[in-house]
Amino acid sequence: MGAVVITGMGVISPVGIGKDDFWKGLIEGRDGIKEITTFDTEPLRSKKGALVKGFTPKVFIPPLKIRRLDRASQFAIAAAQMALEDAGLSIGEDVAPERTGIILGSGFCGLVNSEAFHRGQVLRGPADLNPILFPNTVPNAAASNASIELGIKGPNSTVVQSFCTAEAAFVFACQQLIAHRADVMVTGGVDELSAILYRGWNELRLTACDTGEGDKSAPYDLTRNGFIPGEGAGLMILERERDALRRKARIYAQLLGFAQTGGAAQPAEGVARAISGALSGDGVKTIDFIDGAGNSSPRLDAVEAEGLRRAMPHDVRDIPVSSIKSMIGEGIASGGMRIAADLLIMEQGVIPPTINYEYPDPLCGLRVVRKGQKVPVRTIVHTGISLDGTYMAILLGSAHGVS
Amino acid sequence: MRGNKRAVITGMGVICATGGTAEEFLVSLKEGRRGIREVTLFDCSGYPSQVAAQIEGYSPLDFFNTKELRRLSRVDQLVLIAAHEAFADAGLRDTINNGERSGVCLGAGAGGMLSAEAYHRQLLEGKRPRPSLLLPFVPSYATDRLAERYRLQGPRTTITTACSSSATSIAYGAELIRGGGADVMACGGGEALSELTFGGFCSLQVMDPLPCRPFDARRTGLSLGEGAAVLILEEKERAVGRGASIYGELLGYALGGEAFHITAPEETGREEARIMREALNDAGITPREIDYINAHGTGTILNDQVETLAIKEVWGEDAYQTPVSSTKSMIGHCLGAAGGLEAVASLLAMRHHLIPPTAGFERGDEICDLDYVPQPRRGEVEIVLSNSFAFGGNCTTLIFGRGDL
Repeated sequence: MGAVVITGMGVISPVGIGKDDFWKGLIEGRDGIKEITTFDTEPLRSKKGALVKGFTPKVFIPPLKIRRLDRASQFAIAAAQMALEDAGLSIGEDVAPERTGIILGSGFCGLVNSEAFHRGQVLRGPADLNPILFPNTVPNAAASNASIELGIKGPNSTVVQSFCTAEAAFVFACQQLIAHRADVMVTGGVDELSAILYRGWNELRLTACDTGEGDKSAPYDLTRNGFIPGEGAGLMILERERDALRRKARIYAQLLGFAQTGGAAQPAEGVARAISGALSGDGVKTIDFIDGAGNSSPRLDAVEAEGLRRAMPHDVRDIPVSSIKSMIGEGIASGGMRIAADLLIMEQGVIPPTINYEYPDPLCGLRVVRKGQKVPVRTIVHTGISLDGTYMAILLGSAHGVS
Repeated sequence: MRGNKRAVITGMGVICATGGTAEEFLVSLKEGRRGIREVTLFDCSGYPSQVAAQIEGYSPLDFFNTKELRRLSRVDQLVLIAAHEAFADAGLRDTINNGERSGVCLGAGAGGMLSAEAYHRQLLEGKRPRPSLLLPFVPSYATDRLAERYRLQGPRTTITTACSSSATSIAYGAELIRGGGADVMACGGGEALSELTFGGFCSLQVMDPLPCRPFDARRTGLSLGEGAAVLILEEKERAVGRGASIYGELLGYALGGEAFHITAPEETGREEARIMREALNDAGITPREIDYINAHGTGTILNDQVETLAIKEVWGEDAYQTPVSSTKSMIGHCLGAAGGLEAVASLLAMRHHLIPPTAGFERGDEICDLDYVPQPRRGEVEIVLSNSFAFGGNCTTLIFGRGDL
């Protein structure tokens, strides 16, 4: 299983663009969640979102192409470029286009175009349809536009699996590498938060609402009452370890194990089974950090905590847990940004805080990190949870000194 | 494909315009019956085309109660109907006790768009739509419903690469089985017609006002369709051990991107040829060993021309001896379900010594001059190659071989 390593990352997040600014934002506890001003939230229960601010597509994409690409595709192209550069890989020079693949998790990217297209159908009728919009309604537009822009010709796919969307893409990309169907895989997650998506989350009453201090993302906190919708992209470069060593690449982390389980009836059991599955392989004794999927929704965070306790009954109270969704919100593919954070946490030896964690929920009972904490981190358990019945656990180890 | 474990297909379920079961679908393939007619699911007046392969005479209450129906969009219903048949066909209904080693990977196109459209329309008309119309919108919704119904507690994934989704789901599921990550995977996918998709393809001016005529000189575009196909993929030893009837094996596949254009294929066919070659290499066979090509064959001028060029590039002179047909001529282009339905057609072709036709094909043109099988035909089919090409240049080629090989 130690065959796959991560050698690059590209991040566009509500707390910062590019890995340096992203990291600075995380350890500062910078809150990426703000009052939404770009569309009307008046009739809705929530007012805030984790939008990406200050993204300048022309840094990454030729101006003439920009207007033909939707925001999600722009995110994917920019993040993929950053990730390849970070890995020191040039497609066509260091790796053949046909041996480079891209598999992204895309949460409702394209919905903004679907909404605009269908609005035209309803309001103006069939005579006046905009042909530019329709091709970008497909969820795979982001990954495919990135493949077109960057010349990626290997395995190409897009997945969605509820709140485990980025993790599902990551696992698929690992599979393709392990099966030698590519030498380099670009993977991760991309989300675009549109007005219609924001409305949808609100209508389903899944989002956080104001109970006095404004709506906030407060994972594992007693006062949490829903998640804050977010957006962004977190992309990684995966290679087989042998290839990465041969080209003397900087290795952020190796994949030590992963497991995916299902079953909505017993979610905590599913989470526990995923974690145990990920830990079963490699004889890793100590877990230094848990990157929690907790998104401030009352049930999900409690389920995660119970799953962690079941999987690691003796140690879980000793292992620091943090959820960066307190700062970047929830985008269903935000697992990509979280994996990028995991790599930086191992590299820097600092655990970012879970902001807004004030009143510990006794039902969670986790060692949640309130203030950034300097500590060597060699192993991370990353969880992915969808209460629709999908559970993921990814075990990452630093390139050096896994105990 | 490398490795010791092999992935075979032990059950199939289908619902589409020409059949509510795999058996009915087989009969329609044998007859070359076309299911493309006037759309009644929504109002298409005003669009340049008014036809599609809509499932007719379908009454949801025959399959689901009203409580269930409140939470199932049309595509979820189709997927569950196909799944019911597939699990029964595989003889697995009562034996999925070890659900932890069983998972699901489906392809999706527009997912619950039909329900979301109803919500959106009401919203634009100033009404207060029912929020639960949005529940099935996430394309993984059908995947979750299937998994819950059959208590599959292993891996779950939903592929959303438009027209190649469900072909890719089969590749993913098979690779997972081969890698030891699961013993049984329910793969395939579903698609329901929706106003957005219908209008969308009209906006691109690629819809034939008549039922589509893939590869024919008179073709002017595609016809949309709807349906679902679920295939039960199973680790071969396990399947043999329990005495399951095996339809065939996924011998090889290739997934790739053309890196060319968001809607148009690379016009020389070079990229599609590359994917087909990769799949052949993966299966370890030569082009000549392919008995039948189940083409993507949408009926658009460009697709059929490029696919034909790609076939000629890979097969050379042998291209003229290899039957190529598009089952979309009968069931329309079912987008997220297309690859799954075509996989079922391919496996039925092998079992029943049948080469399904390109129904309605009369004459080709200068480029499209292969054997497109205008009439259904009997023939030995041991190995089939099936293509699925999508928006974004996502190409998937699957190669199936007979189970007894």
